This record gives sequence, structure tokens and C-alpha cells, in this order.
Amino acid sequence: MTGLLRRIGGSLNDFFRWSGGLFILFLRAVWVAPQRPIGVSDLSHQTLTVGIRSMPMATLMSLFVGMILVWQFGEALADFGAKQSLGYASSLALVRELIPALLAVTVGSKMATGMTAELGSMKVTEQIDAIASLGADPVKKLVWPRFFAATLAMPLLVAWGNIMALLGGMFISDAVFDVPAGYFYETYIDELIPIHYISGIVKATVFGAIAGIIGCYQGFMTKFGTEAVGLATTETVVAVSIAVVIADFALTTLFLPI
Amino acid sequence: MSATDPPPIISMRGVSKSFGANVVYQGMDIDVYRGETLTILGGSGTGKSVALKLMIGLLRAEEGSVQVNGEEVSEMGAESLRKLRQDLSMVFQGGALFDSMSVLENVGYALTEHTQMSDAEILDRAEECLEMVGLGLSENPDILEKFPANLSGGMRKRVALARSIAIKPAVILYDEPTTGLDPPNCDRISMMIRHLQEQLSVTSVVVTHDIDTAFHVSDRMAMLHEHRFPWVARTEDFRQIRDEVVRDFIVRRTR
Ligand SMILES: Nc1ncnc2c1ncn2[C@@H]1O[C@H](COP(=O)(O)OP(=O)(O)OP(=O)(O)O)[C@@H](O)[C@H]1O
Ligand SMILES: [Mg+2]
Repeated sequence: MTGLLRRIGGSLNDFFRWSGGLFILFLRAVWVAPQRPIGVSDLSHQTLTVGIRSMPMATLMSLFVGMILVWQFGEALADFGAKQSLGYASSLALVRELIPALLAVTVGSKMATGMTAELGSMKVTEQIDAIASLGADPVKKLVWPRFFAATLAMPLLVAWGNIMALLGGMFISDAVFDVPAGYFYETYIDELIPIHYISGIVKATVFGAIAGIIGCYQGFMTKFGTEAVGLATTETVVAVSIAVVIADFALTTLFLPI
Repeated sequence: MSATDPPPIISMRGVSKSFGANVVYQGMDIDVYRGETLTILGGSGTGKSVALKLMIGLLRAEEGSVQVNGEEVSEMGAESLRKLRQDLSMVFQGGALFDSMSVLENVGYALTEHTQMSDAEILDRAEECLEMVGLGLSENPDILEKFPANLSGGMRKRVALARSIAIKPAVILYDEPTTGLDPPNCDRISMMIRHLQEQLSVTSVVVTHDIDTAFHVSDRMAMLHEHRFPWVARTEDFRQIRDEVVRDFIVRRTR
């Protein structure tokens, strides 16, 4: 019994230490951001690579989720003879919740693991120490551009994902339920007010920041040896998914009453 | 060393360092004097690399003091550390070349960070440094554009050496600079260390397993044993040490 308690205590301790370290890295990244040189080329390079590499996945995921959700809702609405309101019914769930959360867990994890693997192998081969010993700040050189890139790319990808989901929904509505695509489009857009877009974009930004900072932190914390990189990467997937779901819940309680 | 000697450039006093339960140093003392070459010997995994990282402030001691030019390294802020590392550079054991950068960008890295040199000046200096480590452009015309992944192990080691000397530091910490090199290149690197000392009065700390290189380059030698440096002596005196541990180490390596 005491053994179990001690284990729980140990895990809690590890968890607080981990979150503390994560938060400190976040503060340091933001702190060094305005220091010169700004590193515009690093920032744009990271944003482009992260963004472009995630495009195919974001496109595919959103398109299919749009189609699946509209199909499911369509079946349910058709039973009540209410399939004309398909656009109204599906837009909120997709824009406010499904696209941001789904892309954060999939595309966000992918971004974060990429960062962990890259920085982790740099850590293991002492390249991070080498940056410091050659007079540069590794947080400025490595963490800040990646954190920035993920935070900026995620809302852009979510915006793109929304368009894809809408297209997928229009296709299913027209092809399966005989609700014209144009009508679906109008009702879909009609249901949305600015706060829905805002909440989707805010969520996406927060999720992007979470993925970026966890990805970098895990890379920096990688222990010795190449197998350590694999371990750190796996932990990153778990950490990003859990952190995103928790942040999503928090943001939903914030935005829903509005 | 007598009381009339100039103060050491690097001075470690009562240093303790451990990683969890793994004690690496306990009450360790060592000094490095201006202009000398000090070689550190010691078994694998005993803490030689850790000693260099303590000197350059990549690791912090839990106890004791690590001073460079009379300043406590552990108390330095980001800006002082940056200045320190302009004077003090380190050659990492595994090279630690930046995979995502070409040889030119690697060798010029410290120059872009610390100086206002133009691209052309950096290019000149990079060529000069590569020449010094035996990677001159005459024999290796396309070396500057290559990436670390396309270099052999020995070439990577030498590019790493070139990267560390590019900024003309006053002190260079070499972590096994000749391990894995063929005999001619080993000799070239030892000559380079000597040359830098004689021509530019560079202070060097060399970690090595290679006793021949050690005897060739050092003014003084230190042997790491049981978390300390119990034996530190001028090279000619070091050869005379009769202690079993030291003899074993020297003889086994030269046999
Ligand atoms: N960053 C670190 N975190 C945890 N342990 C470390 C770290 N760096 C070194 N160690 C441990 O400290 C001890 C000394 O390591 P160090 O790399 O200094 O050995 P070394 O004398 O350089 O060995 P070698 O000749 O094999 O290079 C080893 O047990 C190593 O596992
Ligand atoms: Mg070592």
C-alpha cells in the first residue's frame, strides 16, 4: 500500500517537474524572441517546412472528417425528415471543435515528434552543446523558431482544413442526401457567427503552441543514446495528445457560454 | 608550481559533480596555466569530457569553484558566458558538427556569431583552418559545400577541429582530437596543437587515450583517478612516476 502511494507520489513529482521544465522553456523561448539577431530566415524556413510538410495530412484528414460527419448527421436527420438542415447541423461541430482538435492531435503530434526526433538527435550527438559553446543560444536558435512555426502554422492549417471539410460535406450532402451542394454551403455558413471562427482559431493557436513547445522540450530532455531519441519521441505523442485534449476542454468551457 | 607563477587561466578547486548516484568528481583540483598544453589521461567513462564541459560552463559543479581568468563560471550570465566562449573553445569528442549545415557554415559558425566578418573573409578563414587540419582545398576541392553526413569519420573530426580554431580562441579544449585518425593525420594534429601554442601562444587542454600524442604535445600531464587528479606533473616527471596505476596506463598504451 505504501509502495503504491510512493509510486503515485513519484509519478506526480515527475509530472510537476516535467510541466515546470516545459513552462520554463516556454518563458525562455518568448524571452529570447525579441533579442537580436531576429533570425527572420530561421523563422520563415521553419514555418514553411512545418506548414508544407503538414499540408497533405491536414487536407486528407479534414476532407474525410467532413464527409464522415455529414454522412452520420445526414442519416440521423433523414429519419426525422429534416435533412434540409444538414448544413446547419454539421457546421458548428466541425468548425468549433472537430477540425481544430483533430488536426491538433494528428498534425500537431506529427510536428512535435518531428521536432523531438530532430532536436533529440542533436542533443545526443552534442550538437546542442556545440551551439552553446560556439557562442549562440540554443533556445534562440532551435526552440524559438520551431515554437513560432508550430504556433503560426496550426491556425493556418485549421483554416485550410475548414475549407476542405466544407467541400467534403458539400459533396456528401449532394451525392448521398440530394441536398444541393449550394444549399448546403449557404446553410453551413449561415449558422456560423464570428465567435465560432474565433474560437476555432484560438484553439488552433493554443494547440500549435502546445505541440511546438512539447516537441522541443522533449528533444532537449533526451537522455543518452539513440534509443533515447525513440523513447522521447513516443512520449511526445502521448504528451501532446493529452495536453491538447485538456486544453480543448478548458477552452471549450471558456468559449461555449459566449 | 611555486608561489611566483602567474595565476592560472583556468582553476578548479574542490569541485564535486555527480549525475544522480553516479559520482564523477569529488573534491577535485586542477589548474591550467597560460600558454601551456595540459593533457588529461584517464580510463573510459571516468569523467574527462565532463571536466572540459565544466571548464566551458556547459555543465555546472555542485560544489567547489571553477574559475576562468579569475571569474566564477557558474555565476556567469548569458552574456558573460558568450564572451567566455569567444576566448575558450571546445572540440567535442564526437565532432558534434551541425548536420544541417555545410562544412563552410560549420567552420564559419563562431565567426558569424561573434564577429562582423564579411562572407568573403569568413570563406578565407575557413579555407585557412581547413588547410591547418589537412583538408586543404587543393586536395579536397569540394569540401566546403559538403555536408557532415558525406564525410568520413576522420574528416568530420578534422572539420570539427577547424571549426573550433576558426575564431582564434586563447584556450582550446580538445576532447580526444586524434582518436580514430590514421597515423599521418594524428601527427599532423599534434603538430597543429604545438604550432598553435608556439605561434599564437594558445593554451590547450587535451584529453586523449593516445600516449604518443600526449607525450608529444604536453607540457604537463594529469591523470584522472577515483574522482580526482592525484597525479599532475611536468611531462618529463610524469614519465618517471612509479605508481602502479600510472605505469599501467602508460605502458599498456605504448606496448
Ligand atoms: N550529461 C550527462 N548526464 C548524465 N550522465 C553523464 C553526463 N555526461 C557524462 N555523464 C556520466 O559521467 C561519467 C563520465 O563521463 P565522461 O563522458 O566525462 O567520460 P570520459 O572520461 O570522457 O569517457 P570516454 O573516454 O569514454 O570519453 C559517465 O559515467 C557518464 O555516463
Ligand atoms: Mg569523453
